[in-house]
Amino acid sequence: MREKHAWSTLFAEKRATLSNYFLRRVAHRWDAQDMVQEVYLRLLRIEPADAANIRSPEAYLFTVAANLVKEHAVLRQQQPLGSDELEQVVEHLVAPANVEADMDSESRQKRLGALIDRLSPKCKAVLIMHYRDDMSYREIAERMSISTHMVKKYIVKGLAACRRRMADYE
Amino acid sequence: MSESTHFDAARQARRISEQAVTWYIELQEPLGERQRVAFLDWLRTSPQHVAEYFAVARMHGDLKAASALEKLSAEALVEQARHENPVVLFPKVGRPIPLERDTHAVRAGRGKRLLAGLAGVAAIVTLAWLGVTHGLAPGAVSPQREVQNYAGKNDAVRSLKLADGTLVQLDRNSMIEVHFDDHYRRIDVIRGHALFDVGKDVTRPMLVNVGGHVLQDIGTVFDVKRDPKGDTLTVISGRVRVLNGSNASPPSSDALADLTAGQQIELGPAVIGPVHPVQIPQATAWLPEEIRFQRETIADVARRFNAYTVKPLVIEDEGIAGKRISGLFHANNPQAFVAYLSTLPNVRVIEGADRTRVVAAHRMRTE
Repeated sequence: MREKHAWSTLFAEKRATLSNYFLRRVAHRWDAQDMVQEVYLRLLRIEPADAANIRSPEAYLFTVAANLVKEHAVLRQQQPLGSDELEQVVEHLVAPANVEADMDSESRQKRLGALIDRLSPKCKAVLIMHYRDDMSYREIAERMSISTHMVKKYIVKGLAACRRRMADYE
Repeated sequence: MSESTHFDAARQARRISEQAVTWYIELQEPLGERQRVAFLDWLRTSPQHVAEYFAVARMHGDLKAASALEKLSAEALVEQARHENPVVLFPKVGRPIPLERDTHAVRAGRGKRLLAGLAGVAAIVTLAWLGVTHGLAPGAVSPQREVQNYAGKNDAVRSLKLADGTLVQLDRNSMIEVHFDDHYRRIDVIRGHALFDVGKDVTRPMLVNVGGHVLQDIGTVFDVKRDPKGDTLTVISGRVRVLNGSNASPPSSDALADLTAGQQIELGPAVIGPVHPVQIPQATAWLPEEIRFQRETIADVARRFNAYTVKPLVIEDEGIAGKRISGLFHANNPQAFVAYLSTLPNVRVIEGADRTRVVAAHRMRTE
């Protein structure tokens, strides 16, 4: 129980990096396709009554994924992730160990940067101000003279477009 | 393996991406119980949803670093976005844009070969394009194309809704040709008279080719009339920028004219007339006088009114936008429709200077 609570706190703080960490780990150690199938099957096993009680479905999702990675490691008789998984994760976040994976992420970021550059000027301006300059939806709305609702729409559209184009590469 | 199957698959993939991104953004705030269950339900719909959610999460982790690669300041970006007007290009009249070569050139060389190989006409079109759209990287999947011809009826104006949400009113005996793929939307006005209310798609720009004149549009209502003596462009709402297509420089530098709501310009074969104000009822006299609708969404009905008025009606609340209604209104009286909307539960109408906003009443407290 204590662990669950810690997870959601950690998640709130390090969400993007954390999910990235797991996905990279999975991509390198295991067929991501298999993991998705397995995660999916486990999600299907949740009882409807329990579904309502999951406080953070997203943290739950990544916990399921993390557990799978761990189980998989055990199955393959490799070093399991370690008993104090959380600490190890945080350690990895501070000092990424795998240079190859970092090279990977650098070229991925460049590619993503190029895709953002090709969005429509409005969409691009919104994304850059939000992600590079850490501006809130409201601040961006004022700068662009549009509603916060539209700002959100541009972000969703822009991210979805980038994601589609990234998928074309994969 | 038909083209439409391809097209459907691409559309489906795009829909899942948008849903995954929407959930990812929603989850930045703590969710209520109903929303949490809805998210789990969405995940449990398909392994594809799970995979896409992971992929979005992973991409999101790269966004900060990726956007930091952009060198322009926020001010410069906002300025650029401000100039993102619909664009009209004036190449040599009567010279159709070579669609196929155009596409191949972009695919193969992204610009250089294109500039060298094609007339200034096509080159400037593509320049405008590259600013906002996407050449395909070598090895990327080829775009799915959808080509469709639409002819007007003999006895009445025809209303069409295209796959991207664009609404077209097509006069009697008129014809348009629609080319859509993953990367851009293009419509050729072959003959006659057509009014466009362009569906918003920030990632696939729309190019409207009017016998050599090319209109690039992002969310504006405008009317195009083909005529051997000269074509006419009327802007009902929004803004349109007119460019000289024979001068091969970026679109922002050589604007011939800017049209705003309620303005018109004649595009003669050799001479471009001055921009002049126009009475919208005159310009849209060819459209039906009545708007009749049977179980259509409020969003669609509102857009039908927007063909007649310089002050468009914007339905901002998705719940209201999707509600289906039936009725009959005079097209020249959008106020009556707005009055009708304001009688619906939970609807709030806000009159702005250049638009009428329809929002959910409960949103007023938070904004």
